[in-house]
Amino acid sequence: MSTIRKILAIRAVREFLRIFLAVFAALVLGFLITLAVSKQPIEAYKAFLLGPVSRFNRFGDWIEESITLILLGLAVSLAFRAKQFSLGQDGQMLMGALVSGSIALFVPLPFLLRVPLALLAAMLVGFIWGYIPGYLKAHLDANEIVSTLMLNTIALKIYDYFLIFWIKPPGAGYNASDFFPVEGKLPTFLPALPFIADLQKRFADHTNITIMLYLMIIAIVVAFFLMFRTPFGYELRTVGANIKFARYGGIDTKKTIILVFAVSGIFAGLAGAHLAMGIHTKLIANITVGLGFEGIVVAIMARNNPLFVPIAGLAYGYLRAGADVMERASDVSREMVLVIQAIIILLVTAERILPMVQQVITARRQAAAGAAEMTEGENNVV
Amino acid sequence: MTALIEMRDIVKVYPNGVVANDRVNFSIERGEIHALVGENGAGKTTLMKILYGMEQPTSGQIFLDGKAQHFRSSHDAIAAGIGMVHQNFMLVPSFTVAENVVLGQEPTRRGFIEAKRATEITEQLAQQYGLRVEADAIVDSINVGMRQRVEILKTLYRGAQILILDEPTAVLTPQETQELFNAVHALVQQGKTVIFITHKLREVKEISDRVSVMRGGKMMGTLPTVEATREGLARMMVGRDVFLTVNKPPCKRGKRVMEVRDLSYITETGRTMLHKVSFNIYAGEILGIAGVEGNGQTELVEVLTGLRSAASGEARIGGKVVTNRTPREVRMASVAHIPEDRLTNGLALTASIDENLIVDRYFLPPYRKGLVIDYKQVESMGRELIKKFDIRTPTGKLPVNSLSGGNMQKVIVAREFSSSPELLIAAQPTRGIDVGATEFIRDQLVQKRTEGTAILLVSADLAEVMSLSDRIIVLYEGEITGVFPDASKVSEEEIGLYMLGLRRQTREEMEAYL
Repeated sequence: MSTIRKILAIRAVREFLRIFLAVFAALVLGFLITLAVSKQPIEAYKAFLLGPVSRFNRFGDWIEESITLILLGLAVSLAFRAKQFSLGQDGQMLMGALVSGSIALFVPLPFLLRVPLALLAAMLVGFIWGYIPGYLKAHLDANEIVSTLMLNTIALKIYDYFLIFWIKPPGAGYNASDFFPVEGKLPTFLPALPFIADLQKRFADHTNITIMLYLMIIAIVVAFFLMFRTPFGYELRTVGANIKFARYGGIDTKKTIILVFAVSGIFAGLAGAHLAMGIHTKLIANITVGLGFEGIVVAIMARNNPLFVPIAGLAYGYLRAGADVMERASDVSREMVLVIQAIIILLVTAERILPMVQQVITARRQAAAGAAEMTEGENNVV
Repeated sequence: MTALIEMRDIVKVYPNGVVANDRVNFSIERGEIHALVGENGAGKTTLMKILYGMEQPTSGQIFLDGKAQHFRSSHDAIAAGIGMVHQNFMLVPSFTVAENVVLGQEPTRRGFIEAKRATEITEQLAQQYGLRVEADAIVDSINVGMRQRVEILKTLYRGAQILILDEPTAVLTPQETQELFNAVHALVQQGKTVIFITHKLREVKEISDRVSVMRGGKMMGTLPTVEATREGLARMMVGRDVFLTVNKPPCKRGKRVMEVRDLSYITETGRTMLHKVSFNIYAGEILGIAGVEGNGQTELVEVLTGLRSAASGEARIGGKVVTNRTPREVRMASVAHIPEDRLTNGLALTASIDENLIVDRYFLPPYRKGLVIDYKQVESMGRELIKKFDIRTPTGKLPVNSLSGGNMQKVIVAREFSSSPELLIAAQPTRGIDVGATEFIRDQLVQKRTEGTAILLVSADLAEVMSLSDRIIVLYEGEITGVFPDASKVSEEEIGLYMLGLRRQTREEMEAYL
């Protein structure tokens, strides 16, 4: 075995390489399009490529959005690993935002109780909003794609109803709540310690990066641990690999399906709390707009593996943030920006890109090594 | 005279370093039925995929009628008159038989497919070669035997002169096998040439003109079938003497393990598949169920293992009812189950060998420690079982689909045997696997029984039921029609009469022996 092949054999390396290659190919294609539609293609593409790290606030936008994307990616990974195609993250997020936002606004508890209560409530409501389609699928054989989409609509209408008739200040001319009081906001992720006071202030002034960053890291670890170390994770993966085998082996497949949906919902519910208490710090109409299905892209890029979700989430978040900057800072229209972004996603989610490259490498090696390898390989016959 | 096909010095090295074919020479005469035998993983399928253009040889040449050929894809091979019927059928289930036959080369008029012509073509081909199919039936609704005939028709429609059949009988019942053999003879009579891959030696003797044996990627030799004996072929395949007959010590029957009383099963569509079946299974015996497939065996096994619900009646283990319980409850009552369809029920193909081994125990100590599964423990158990059951793999972390059929079956056997059950229900334990693995699994069954396990054996292979069982029950149309307390004192012919429903014992006659 050559060293190249040994390194390629490590899964994490392969995954990283796969995403890297796909992104690279996509960026080249994106540039070609920019060349065609922009009068200053270099400037425009630079805005796209470097935009998210060019200013403090843009950097903040990138990280904040990535936190949402990563939490959603975890939610989708858990469901898709079990081959349960839950598309209900939008609804779970909305419910999470509504419940956590209401607690942040109205429950008169001190900060140390109010924030954890709001976060827990968001996770609980996400759990419930996942439990419902899980139950419908397991016991009534209801197609989860239909049921989760319907529940999204229901959640959206519930959210709007409460926002408009209960939460928004009377007489306000817009559909939004007041800003949350300080007891209901997530604190910034850097504590105000003397030696980093300057840095802390800059982050606090220009970004909304909060302690949700740490919660996200915990969530990644928990999701990984849950999926690969616990009996529930074994059940989840086995149901995903072959549900008939799972049943034959004694796994309670109905219970597993319900729990998969519900546990997946916890992560989406938390993403909702992040939107409400971290990014916007108020409840607004269309709070999840544009994010509902992005968890699917992240999960597919990460091959439904929680360990790869942060890589995929940050990369995808960067793309979205870069596209935003390009739209604002160059002559490329929003439509073209979205086209470039879509092409990149298409290429990144194409599963065969790395295998193709590998085939080329293997073919070249075989041509070169020829007879020597054959004798070496003979001992490997199984 | 030059051979029709000549494969010379074929070498195939896969990118992962496995040498599947090692300087293989293989030649086929026009108009012969040539059997290609070897254990799973011997390189038969690879060799045929090279001939069919699906794989490119690392080196070596193929000659057709003395002319060197270079097949870059199966399109080239099809154009040269070679057709292949794969082990796993490649049909569109929602299309009709005729649509599948003409798929890709549909008869058209002004750009529209002529469905009627397709039906006519199919019917005409079917008649010409004696391959009975219903041209207008949806593929999803027809049985395995007919699907296979559709596959053969597909290759004939594309003008195949040489047909490669890859283990065609692995999925067939004895009756369907006979029908296939008749069709193969008809094909040869009309000038076709057939390469027949199998590992059933009985079939080699029955159908082929010549036979070639492969082992470990090498061609061991070709000989006329009349000169071959089953024992000789088995030795060439495995590389040592193989015992095709089972040696077992006398049966020492122990206590009653399972009691089945008046068990009935009715399908969702209202068909009665089991009718008031009653019997006992005792420790230390193998109880064989004989019967033509489709007479309730599958249903019986699945009701007893918790995969289906009984309509009435019950089964008990030590006084505890185990029917209409979950599969986990049945397993916890010390029942193990080798399922008849290993790819659907018995394994999760994309999961690792280790993970396939723990499905019945991951929640129990020592595998479960507190909130987590102790994967070190799982790994060491995997290593132990891989060694004990001779599963050919470098590590238990590989996915099961990297194994050959025989080794997949050993994974199931390893799991089910190692749970030390009181009752082992084995359905088709050796179907479609090679001689070596078959011998191994039969030995293991006999050993378990001698150690005191009760075994219920269901097999479509009557010879297997006869040679392994201590006691035999015959199922016909969901009812027990006969019981034979000593399997060694009854002939295949006699059991055959009961299997076909031509003879049946009265309740009184059977009572004492059930």
